[in-house]
Amino acid sequence: MKLTKIFLGVALAATSLAQTANASNLRMSWWGGDSRHKATQVALKACGDKYGHTIAAEFTGWDGHLEKVTTQIAGGTEADIMQINWPWLPLFSINGDGFADLNQYKDIIDLSQWTKDDLAAGTMNGKLNGLSVSTTGRVFMFNKTALDKAGVAIPKTWDELFAAAKTLKTKVGPEAYPMNAVKETAVLLISLYTTQNTGKDLVDQKAKKVAWSAEELAKGIDFYGKLVKEGVVQTQKSVASEGNLNLFESPKWADGRISGSYEWDSTFSKYADPLKGQKLEPVSILKNTDAKTEGVYRKPSMVFSISKRSKDPKAAAQILNCLLNEPEGINAMGTARGLPASKIAAKTLIDGGKIEPEIVAANAIIMNGTGPTVSPLNEHPEVRAVFIDTLEEYAYGQIKSQEAAEAIIDGVNAVLKKF
Amino acid sequence: MSGDHRFLGLLYLSPYIIGLLVFTALPFLASFYLSFTDYNLMSTPTFVGIANYAKLLTADRTFKKSLSITLFYVFTTVPLKLAFALFIAVILNYKLKFINFFRTAFYVPSILGGSIAIAVMWRYLFADVGIVNMALQGIGFEPVNWFGDPTNALFTITLLRLWQFGSAMVIFLAALQSIDKSLYEAASIDGAGKFATFWHITMPLITPVIFFNLIMQMVQAFQEFNGPYIITQGGPLKSTYLLPLYIYEAAFKRFDMGYASAIAWVLFAIIMVLTLIAFWSSRHWVYYAGDKRS
Repeated sequence: MKLTKIFLGVALAATSLAQTANASNLRMSWWGGDSRHKATQVALKACGDKYGHTIAAEFTGWDGHLEKVTTQIAGGTEADIMQINWPWLPLFSINGDGFADLNQYKDIIDLSQWTKDDLAAGTMNGKLNGLSVSTTGRVFMFNKTALDKAGVAIPKTWDELFAAAKTLKTKVGPEAYPMNAVKETAVLLISLYTTQNTGKDLVDQKAKKVAWSAEELAKGIDFYGKLVKEGVVQTQKSVASEGNLNLFESPKWADGRISGSYEWDSTFSKYADPLKGQKLEPVSILKNTDAKTEGVYRKPSMVFSISKRSKDPKAAAQILNCLLNEPEGINAMGTARGLPASKIAAKTLIDGGKIEPEIVAANAIIMNGTGPTVSPLNEHPEVRAVFIDTLEEYAYGQIKSQEAAEAIIDGVNAVLKKF
Repeated sequence: MSGDHRFLGLLYLSPYIIGLLVFTALPFLASFYLSFTDYNLMSTPTFVGIANYAKLLTADRTFKKSLSITLFYVFTTVPLKLAFALFIAVILNYKLKFINFFRTAFYVPSILGGSIAIAVMWRYLFADVGIVNMALQGIGFEPVNWFGDPTNALFTITLLRLWQFGSAMVIFLAALQSIDKSLYEAASIDGAGKFATFWHITMPLITPVIFFNLIMQMVQAFQEFNGPYIITQGGPLKSTYLLPLYIYEAAFKRFDMGYASAIAWVLFAIIMVLTLIAFWSSRHWVYYAGDKRS
């Protein structure tokens, strides 16, 4: 009997030690808004408990996250699991060596849950550097409650958008705008209009230069000028005077004075959250009848990557698989990053009725939209900076649209030459 | 001092010395080397000679604009801040009721002033519907576009720096209190008025402190980052795009560490030259008691 007790004691101790030996302390970093922060922390706790790992959460807003990750990677202090924006993959891992190759952990991560296209989008030089979390794109979203109050129907074409602005000014007041366009959103609205007119993306991937002529781009910039002139969007000067607030932090957005925007479908909740008691509705891409394409700006959104320096990449792979493919992670994460790219995650959430119909609708607009393939170089920090800075000069009346178009094309071509 | 004691002294100093070497001296030297390289953080630095400096000084319009804005900012904020700090110090040098409370109250902004929270608060104070515009409208003025107008935006950032006058003020106050009272009595007996007393007695005696504050404030103003980064992001039209912002963007937005290091070294050289000029000029206007030159 005594011997049995000793044997049992040793066996129990060995079991508990074995569990301790497998437990890892991991870190995960991401950017996002409040709803994403909360959901991810719950998911990390659930997955950590399941596998006996502890995962420290490192989260920020979008602003400055690229700088943070870059500094961490350069200093070798990045988190084990990272949320990486898809256009950053060529910045960090042009040869595929910047992150762990997830193919090596296919016995832990169920890669069959992703389409070939999704896996290809996360592959750099033959190495799977990131797993697509969702496919995202820019979608129009309107505050239906605010528009209904003013008796304005949700616009479906550019002409209807201009008409909506006129009605809003009359019925609500001069400070009512049916659309938001500043900095990146202004750039993407101009890009959308120009893509619809030309049928081409900004970047000609093969020639490594801007695909639009200066005249074509100038027409897009004039379109932005018209949006401002006719009171569809605020002037840049006016947005700056408010302290350059993010739209979702702006009182004008919260109370419906700004009643529409053109944002990532994966951020739908971030823009819906401040609209207490009001309904935000995703809307098909606005275009006029002569458009060559809808010009949908669709891309893999962020990917989840594992650091090549992770001390326990297998534990990180377990957590990654749990977050994206297992019920504990799927249910906790919900749609905080849009409609999941993982088939099992999408099915679980849809079957469980856990996806808000608006999120499904927003994603469907993106997935069904037509348009040329979007180059990741559209979002190269220097390309964006050239576009935003030059557009600001135009918005402040320093230069004409033709000059702005030429300056943007020259600036972007100079960046594209490096690739 | 015995050898053991020398070792003990060094041991006590070692945290500071190690910190200085690792966190200041090493990055300082590394940035000098990097300024001659093409380095994007992800790959090994490639030596490019003086190419970064050549581009910076001959072909970079953004640098020229940023430099001129930075110099304007420094040459306006530093004298204004020193004058204001001295003015308040003179007032707080009087024997008033609750004087310690006032001294503390005026110093508090300096503790908080450079923080992110205060920069965010500034953004709300000077927003189009902020308290400043509400106050202006309350007394019959038109609201001002503080952040959206390029001519006003730098002024708003300047105000943030002026608001942090407390540390300079405390140093001025200490200097004012150390002046021998018998000098004022003598001046009074000789019939000197308040302005003459201030100009001929107070000012000469506090010139070493003015000089100290001038150097410190100038160096700090050249390094201003938080205000323009949080409040205006360097805009509009780069009207608040001070050199530290340009360094940051070159380094962490474009990942051009070599170029960013070159800008940092040009900034260092400018601060160095202006400091040397200030030191050189000090022999003509700074009075040190007991100094034969004086």
